[in-house]
Amino acid sequence: MTTIRIPTPLRPYSGGQSNIQVSGDTVGAALTDLTSQHPDLRQHLFEGDKLRSFVNVFLNEEDVRYLDGAETAVSDNDTLMIIPSIAGG
Amino acid sequence: MLIIPDEIQEQIRAHGVESYPYEGCGLLLGTAVNGTNTVSAIRPTQNVWPVEAEKPTRFRIDEREWAAVEMEAMRQGLDVVGVFHSHPDSPPAASPRDLAWAAFPGYSYLITEIRQGAPHDGRSWQLLPDRSGFVEEEVKIEDS
Repeated sequence: MTTIRIPTPLRPYSGGQSNIQVSGDTVGAALTDLTSQHPDLRQHLFEGDKLRSFVNVFLNEEDVRYLDGAETAVSDNDTLMIIPSIAGG
Repeated sequence: MLIIPDEIQEQIRAHGVESYPYEGCGLLLGTAVNGTNTVSAIRPTQNVWPVEAEKPTRFRIDEREWAAVEMEAMRQGLDVVGVFHSHPDSPPAASPRDLAWAAFPGYSYLITEIRQGAPHDGRSWQLLPDRSGFVEEEVKIEDS
């Protein structure tokens, strides 16, 4: 199973867990399993069917947008991280 | 509430001074328990705002840098609990731009004013759950 690292502020919506084991062969399937296990996470990660604009998914420190996006393959020892975009002034 | 050891507060202020007249930024590492973010380390990051001339009033944190810090924090048993940035010659209030480009509620958004190159007030903010605005949070400075 793949591990998804949950950002600190979202842990109230993941039962307090920081790392969650998910099934699925792709990033998209892994995220679907994550939000099936913890439905309250969905509103924070998705807007409709798309990831919120400030939500980035990294596979072992690589931004999946520069891999195959939601179709990026994942395997058992992989770690997915949800990394926000933050800017301001 | 945000709790920061005085030694780390000094590091944050020093980073703001080093970055002046640009905005400086970075991540707050520590623990989050029942709405209290306690900082035990910081990781300054580059300000990667793409327009150099706008960096005195803009910042952006590189997501790849954030991912590397997140990985490091995980190995050390720490968490990213917030973001800090400086406001050169501007009060440490969360701006509309800070609101527009904020992320998840629950992070502390610590802002330090750097006035004429010297550190001034710092205030911290939390995004409201509905993302409609920021509310100020108490900052407690502890002896290191």
